[in-house]
Amino acid sequence: MCAKKNTNTNYLSNKEIRAIAKANRKVMNALEKKKYRKADESEFTTQMKDSKNILEIEDLNTYFFTDQGVVKAVNGVSFEVPENSTVGIVGESGCGKSVTSMSVMRLLQGPQGQIVSGSIRFKSLEYCRDEKGRPIPAYTVDENGNTVQAVNESGVAQYEMEEKVYDIAQMPIRDIHRIRGRQISMIFQEPMTSLNPIFTIGDQLDEVTFIHNPGATKEMAKKRSLDMLGLVGIAAPERVYKSYPHELSGGMRQRVMISMALACDPRLIIADEPTTALDVTIQAQILDLFRDLKHKINGSILLITHDLGVIAEMADYVVVMYAGKVIERGTVQEIFHNPMHPYTIGLQKSKPTMDSDEDTLFNIPGNVPNPVNMPNHCFFKERCSMCTRKCSGEYPGMIQVSPTHFVACHLYDEKEEV
Amino acid sequence: MEEQLNNINETEETSVVYDDALEAKKEKERRQAQIEADSTLPFDEEALLEVRHLRKCFPIKKSLTGKVLQELVAVDDVSFKLKPGETLGIVGESGCGKTTMGRTILKLHPSNGGQIIFNGEDITNYKSAQMRNIRTQMQIIFQDPYSSLPPRSTIGDILSEPVKVHNIVPKSEVKDYVMDLMEKCGLRDYYYERYPHEFSGGQRQRICIARALSVNPKLVVCDEPVSALDVSIQAQIINLLKELQSSMGLTYLFISHDLSVVKFISDKIGVMYLGAMMEFGNKKDIFSNPIHPYTQALFSAIPNPNPDVKMNRIVLSGDIPSPANPPKGCRFHTRCPYAKEICKHVCPKYKEYEPGHFAACHLYSQD
Repeated sequence: MCAKKNTNTNYLSNKEIRAIAKANRKVMNALEKKKYRKADESEFTTQMKDSKNILEIEDLNTYFFTDQGVVKAVNGVSFEVPENSTVGIVGESGCGKSVTSMSVMRLLQGPQGQIVSGSIRFKSLEYCRDEKGRPIPAYTVDENGNTVQAVNESGVAQYEMEEKVYDIAQMPIRDIHRIRGRQISMIFQEPMTSLNPIFTIGDQLDEVTFIHNPGATKEMAKKRSLDMLGLVGIAAPERVYKSYPHELSGGMRQRVMISMALACDPRLIIADEPTTALDVTIQAQILDLFRDLKHKINGSILLITHDLGVIAEMADYVVVMYAGKVIERGTVQEIFHNPMHPYTIGLQKSKPTMDSDEDTLFNIPGNVPNPVNMPNHCFFKERCSMCTRKCSGEYPGMIQVSPTHFVACHLYDEKEEV
Repeated sequence: MEEQLNNINETEETSVVYDDALEAKKEKERRQAQIEADSTLPFDEEALLEVRHLRKCFPIKKSLTGKVLQELVAVDDVSFKLKPGETLGIVGESGCGKTTMGRTILKLHPSNGGQIIFNGEDITNYKSAQMRNIRTQMQIIFQDPYSSLPPRSTIGDILSEPVKVHNIVPKSEVKDYVMDLMEKCGLRDYYYERYPHEFSGGQRQRICIARALSVNPKLVVCDEPVSALDVSIQAQIINLLKELQSSMGLTYLFISHDLSVVKFISDKIGVMYLGAMMEFGNKKDIFSNPIHPYTQALFSAIPNPNPDVKMNRIVLSGDIPSPANPPKGCRFHTRCPYAKEICKHVCPKYKEYEPGHFAACHLYSQD
């Protein structure tokens, strides 16, 4: 018994678990309290560092407080999403790419999942409100010379807008509806589990327009929904509008999810593995649709995937994550033609491609380290083939290689750190 | 039959009216004749596995008396040969019957027609007692390493059970034999006492591979062994499979939906669509000269990890039709960019276009 205990380092006694749970509860309660507080708008209004960005994530820490210990799922992540561009996050399962997106949407499972520190700055387009808090309608002059309220192409009434920068990480959860769904929308991996099986597609699509547009009527919402279904390439919008999710195929459901995400003209769309659950031919269709939409919508896309091929085709900028940290980021050309971090290099070599004719695949040995009790040194050290003596020391800082290319590795230490 | 088909082709411009019922009847008769003719052929001595006109149906609607009213043809008229030491990669979209085919070959499902010839024996009608001896020679690795290992047994128990059941080595040597096997599959010796939940996905898949190899099989059916794994782990497992193949002389039937993985590991490739084999041939032939439009579309659908390459992608419209009610004529005609009138009514013949390169398509039936 004793010998077994020694070999298994993950073993925790009940007493230890209770102690961890007690400490966790303290931290979690404080964070939960902060999440549900009432706060004035000035508390979470900030400024963007670069006005060209739509989303800036800086030193984000998202932890899960489990009874086995604190899992640092996102551990000091920083990157930005410029306006009208596609940023791809790539990494293996468990590297924190989905948790990053969930933090942006504030959809973390509480009370265990908490944003502990850091800021997520988002340039939001907010309704101008009068002194009573009602949105001010936008007016235009129609062809008869009368002043009428402006409507968009689907006939949904428009209001005066102003640009504000919010720190999503500091926002109380009660205010998040200003952003979530309307300005940042999300496309999930598994369309069957994200659509409600007991409502028709039409009901679910109309709801989005209803909730986020003050003064929207049933007819307006229906017209908008049908327009959106047409936009994502559904041939018979009327039929799909009336059907239930189970009547549609996987590709069709994903199209419905995309149309739902587009319904409010969001400024940022987060697509979390949008094609992983689909077949190759359907994946090609959906990627084609995304590329098409990129030009049609006036917004950015944050694309999360583990497929390097998808990233290469879709993204302008790439963020590579490993074990909760960003290890390399840069433009798609830099990451694919000049990868610097050993993990990025290994990842690209270990994927069999259609053009290569090698006999053995390059493989990265070992596994991702245990997320509880991460070492102090570089997390990739045990699997790295280019280790130096320095790697046993501190975790490497972000090194700037070019204006857009950053890497966290001791190999490039002589260059300037940021 | 050949002449008839050609005649139809030539007169196509004058818009022939096809009688669907008649075509279906003709097709059925032609197939029946073909199956009967082929069943008397001698077994290929070179081949380890030979499959002739394999058919597998699942009943989806039964009457009160138990009579099958409607059935889903999961595998329809599939034939191929596999030589020892080769790897056959089967690709296709989900629901195309590739897993069912693998399981039917292992006789985990009873077949509804055709012949399975393994190692010179026709095992199609073997009872389970007879199959027991064959089981040591054919094994399977499942897709999901999380659900295919018993959670209450240690790794040692999992790996030694098949060895004991099939009397591979004397009882006293079982542990040494298992340890040896674990080392071959890249598992440390102290894992022997551990339970499956203590391992990551990649390690579990190694355990599944070790379990399949513990009885010294000749044929291993790998049913999507890497699709549940991450890219870096995927490469480890693929390399391990290749290594074991050369050291133990294994023959693989490698089922996957990932074409790049299949290309890497296979010698021969079969492309399936809605239960039928669309194209079959050597890897080189298939990749340099894909005949069937479905194969071409499948190849062009793979995202290329090079941002500078802009491909002219053939995007197939629509979804896979329901296998319970496949389209008449060629099953691919609803999505085919080159579909002609004949494709909607007449089922194309599965023919050899180059030596060892088979396809079923009307586009090439003139030559």
